[in-house]
Amino acid sequence: MAFCARKLPLGAQIPPSGYVGHRRSASTSTSASAADASTPVTAAHHPECVLSAKTPSPKSPTNSTRKKTVVLISSSALAAGGFLLHLSTPGPPPGSTGGGGGGGGGGWGWGGFRGGDGGGFWSQIFSPLSAIANEEDPAASGGPEWDTHGLPANIVVPLSKLSGFKRYKISEILFFDRRRATTVAGTEDSFFEMVSLRPGGVYTKAQLQKELETLASCGMFEKVDLETKTKPDGTLALTVSFVESTWQSADSFRCINVGLLPQTKQMEMDADMTDREKLEYFRNQERDYRKRIERSRPCLMPTPVQREVLQMLREHGRVSARLLQRIRDQVQKWYHDEGYACAQVVNFGNLNTREVVCEVVEGDITQLVIQFQDKLGNVCEGNTQLAVIRRELPKQLRPGHVFNIEAGKQALRNINALALFSNIEVNPRPDEKNEGGIIVEIKLKELEQKSAEVSTEWSIVPGRQGRPTLASIQPGGTVSFEHRNIKGLNRSIVGSVTSSNLLNPQDDLSFKLEYVHPYVDGVYNPRNRTFRASCFNSRKLSPVFTGGPGLDEVAPVWIDRVGFKANITEAFTRQSKFTYGLVMEEITTRDETSSICTHGARALPTGGLSMDGPPTTLSGTGIDRMAFAQANITRDNTKFVNGAIIGERDVFQLDQGLGIGSKFPFFNRHQLTVTRFIPLKQAEEGAGKPPPPVLVLHGHYGGCVGDLPSYDAFTLGGPYSVRGYNMGELGACRNILELATELRIPVRNTHVYAFAEHGNDLGSSKDVKGNPTEFFRRAGHGSSYGVGVKLGLVRAEYAVDHNAGTGAIFFRFGERF
Amino acid sequence: MASQLAREWLGIQQFPAATQSKLHELLGKLKQENVSTLTILVMGKGGVGKSSTVNSILGERVAAVSAFQSEGLRPMMCSRTRAGFTLNIIDTPGLVEGGYVNEQALEIIKRFLLNKTIDVLLYVDRLDAYRVDSLDKQVIKAITDTFGKRIWWRALVVLTHAQLSPPDGLNYNDFFAKRSEALLKYIRLGANIKKQALQESVTPVVLVENSGRCKTNENGEKILPDGTPWIPNLVEVLTVVIANGSKPITVDQKLIDGPNPNARGKLFIPLLLAFQYFFVVKPIQKAIKQDMAKESKPLWELRDVGLANRNF
Repeated sequence: MAFCARKLPLGAQIPPSGYVGHRRSASTSTSASAADASTPVTAAHHPECVLSAKTPSPKSPTNSTRKKTVVLISSSALAAGGFLLHLSTPGPPPGSTGGGGGGGGGGWGWGGFRGGDGGGFWSQIFSPLSAIANEEDPAASGGPEWDTHGLPANIVVPLSKLSGFKRYKISEILFFDRRRATTVAGTEDSFFEMVSLRPGGVYTKAQLQKELETLASCGMFEKVDLETKTKPDGTLALTVSFVESTWQSADSFRCINVGLLPQTKQMEMDADMTDREKLEYFRNQERDYRKRIERSRPCLMPTPVQREVLQMLREHGRVSARLLQRIRDQVQKWYHDEGYACAQVVNFGNLNTREVVCEVVEGDITQLVIQFQDKLGNVCEGNTQLAVIRRELPKQLRPGHVFNIEAGKQALRNINALALFSNIEVNPRPDEKNEGGIIVEIKLKELEQKSAEVSTEWSIVPGRQGRPTLASIQPGGTVSFEHRNIKGLNRSIVGSVTSSNLLNPQDDLSFKLEYVHPYVDGVYNPRNRTFRASCFNSRKLSPVFTGGPGLDEVAPVWIDRVGFKANITEAFTRQSKFTYGLVMEEITTRDETSSICTHGARALPTGGLSMDGPPTTLSGTGIDRMAFAQANITRDNTKFVNGAIIGERDVFQLDQGLGIGSKFPFFNRHQLTVTRFIPLKQAEEGAGKPPPPVLVLHGHYGGCVGDLPSYDAFTLGGPYSVRGYNMGELGACRNILELATELRIPVRNTHVYAFAEHGNDLGSSKDVKGNPTEFFRRAGHGSSYGVGVKLGLVRAEYAVDHNAGTGAIFFRFGERF
Repeated sequence: MASQLAREWLGIQQFPAATQSKLHELLGKLKQENVSTLTILVMGKGGVGKSSTVNSILGERVAAVSAFQSEGLRPMMCSRTRAGFTLNIIDTPGLVEGGYVNEQALEIIKRFLLNKTIDVLLYVDRLDAYRVDSLDKQVIKAITDTFGKRIWWRALVVLTHAQLSPPDGLNYNDFFAKRSEALLKYIRLGANIKKQALQESVTPVVLVENSGRCKTNENGEKILPDGTPWIPNLVEVLTVVIANGSKPITVDQKLIDGPNPNARGKLFIPLLLAFQYFFVVKPIQKAIKQDMAKESKPLWELRDVGLANRNF
């Protein structure tokens, strides 16, 4: 007995959730794409046929194409870095009845599988869905596009008595179970799906006859008939009267993977076989089927689920078509829920024995194809080396594994993270040469290799009374160029020059030139090390030269750095990495007027300026040159649970002076940051579930032994140190200890939090030359506490400065931890 | 100062005979102990009477004094010799300006004192200031930071304006005891000296009255309310302090700069580096490996690897 599965629209099984980037919320485009997908899903809700026969059907099964179902994952690399997961399930492409995929935007479908014992086989008939839909359209628009039956009302008319020229409107569809002698009305019955007719539809006699044929051949019914009843308004009520197929009851259930197994040959049974021949024939078939089962692989479905199915079987007694349908639905639901989008129940075998065998094609990958497309979507030769892409693919996408949509998504994410492609599609399609096989196609559109960009801007700065004013009428801007994917190995050179005054750029020119060389150990080596070299300059206001609460006027000191940096980053996981390298830089300290300054200055009460503050540089000349080694190891296993971050993060950073540079600086500057995000409640993961409340514990220790110029001193206070204070307001010191705790309570889509923080110089302020903490009259330690709420990317918080005992409201961007 | 030749101490002749003889006696005592030069550093907040005290001790008007204005903006050294004995007194500007310790003044003092040896520090404050506050502590801390803790073993606390009537009928001696106790407590705090350590040699407190209206005794000596002539008393206490066994403080570049924190522990950097590598970097690396092993893989991945055993 054979049984064909209604193909479930895959789109419905794929959760429409996009990949959520680190610390980024899902983009709205994701939901839009989900909405897109839903439209075709309804169209695809057409039951496919099941061909039956208790006795082998005399008709030879036509190898027709089933309605296509398409799984299409595509990604557009958005500038924002997030991407959109596009899922769509288009309806059957009209007219493409010829077997195979490839049509209509990379869809796939496959031809009929056949097999089974007792001459069971199945096939499908291409559904005339599109045609019906076309006809339905004008009817829906209200025009009298159908003909009245022209017969007296309330008489039963057999199908054959209907006129072949009229278009009948079916206003009602009823099911009549002859065995139980009950009428089943309503759409909830599983049989309703079997019928492609819909109440309100307009059909010709030929269509109705074809429908009957389909139903009769689908294996669900031993006997099926269509009867129409005339109605006073000229429409027809259709009654499907049927006798359900049943088989003997079974007490065991088995699920096998028949993917990639060759089809058993269906031997035709001659009508004029003798009984003996018939017996031989059946025996042969039984033997063949046993062999088939032996050769098949175990399926992925776990024992608990199988047990559930068995339970169903036992409860039900006799195996009926409806039961098989339910089993099929359940098995397929499990597969699709677990992401095996290509899995399908293709057959039920061994019926009329004690065991029901459910044959599943799980979707074994037979081939992985990587294709490059040009701008027009034509296949072209790509610049990127395939090994670069291959190493990003999870091994579950390689041939021999079962296709899982999650693996596809992961491939999509990983490839997208390369930032080399403007469009990425991961696309499973059936293998025509290997029935039941899946070819995973990865289609990539490469980004332009070289790009250059000029952008200009007018800067706005807070002017008098805090009003925003144009900083100047001269335009500022950035000139940048990029050479990506050199040699197809994702090496790149990026350079940019920024100036706030393009007309006179020598005033403040900041530049950056970076060369990135991934796969230092070779592109085939699983070790992932990246070499980076960059030239840079930067200008920052030094928080060391900041006044304490009693001192408002402190002459600012700018720290200009120009230098060269080379390092190697080894990525262990997506977030944990180890970086080590060398830095050579020249540090110049300047005052407001851009002239080099050697010491910090403080305004005296007399109005004068005391210029004998802490020295700004190690050399005392205002210019330092030094080379040092730098290492940073980050361990980060944080992850998002329903939008709340949970996990552990440890960072150790080390700057080791080598004694090269002005005054031969030799130092060891180290920082250890430990952060814990502890969920206070076990939260179930899943979309729409509330995130757990989280307790954040944070500690930061920093210290320096050896030469410590003021610009490298640790500063206390500021949004990332002790909230509620300004940058450096609490002091600048040699050793630093910061402790913070935060309690986050989820509220609606966001969270509110309460925090307490403390920063301490451990008495090491005096060990910084010139004691900038004391010189600028800072406390050297401080605590704060407060509450806040997260509004999108902005944190609004009220923090109480414990030194002064006053509170203030702050708005900050980004996360504290 | 080297350029300033030490002059003969003429002012001593203006003192009453009793005072003169007492002073000679004390100086002679010092000479016996092989001390022929005595350098006294006078420090304190502004307007407490540092310059006046210097003038009183020398019996000359060496420092300009005015009632309403600070005069001394830079330190000044007066050297006087008498019978082969040299007395140097260094008057300094007030250390407080605008409610804070004036580091600039301190800096100037430091530079002035370079390559000099200080025998005694006179920390001057007023007796009639009723309370001590954090500013006193800061001043004391600044002095300690400059010269080190040792200075307090060579120091005298001088309370000026000694001729006062204590408030609310408080006994004069009680008031003096309380005031000196409070000040000494702040010295201990500001200099961060353990109480125990200070008890071994308590910094003496001496009273001074510079006013011209100061009472005199029958010998014409200026006396305190309790009747002791204060100049000889002061010098006597000075000699006691000098004789207490502590060393005079030589101000050199090192002392002015303070200990160089940049040089400290440099030798241990290689050790520290090794420690960091083995006890910080390695454990973190290990933890990362554990994370990778522990990482909860999605079920579909486990099934694929064959770890599921058909249980899920």
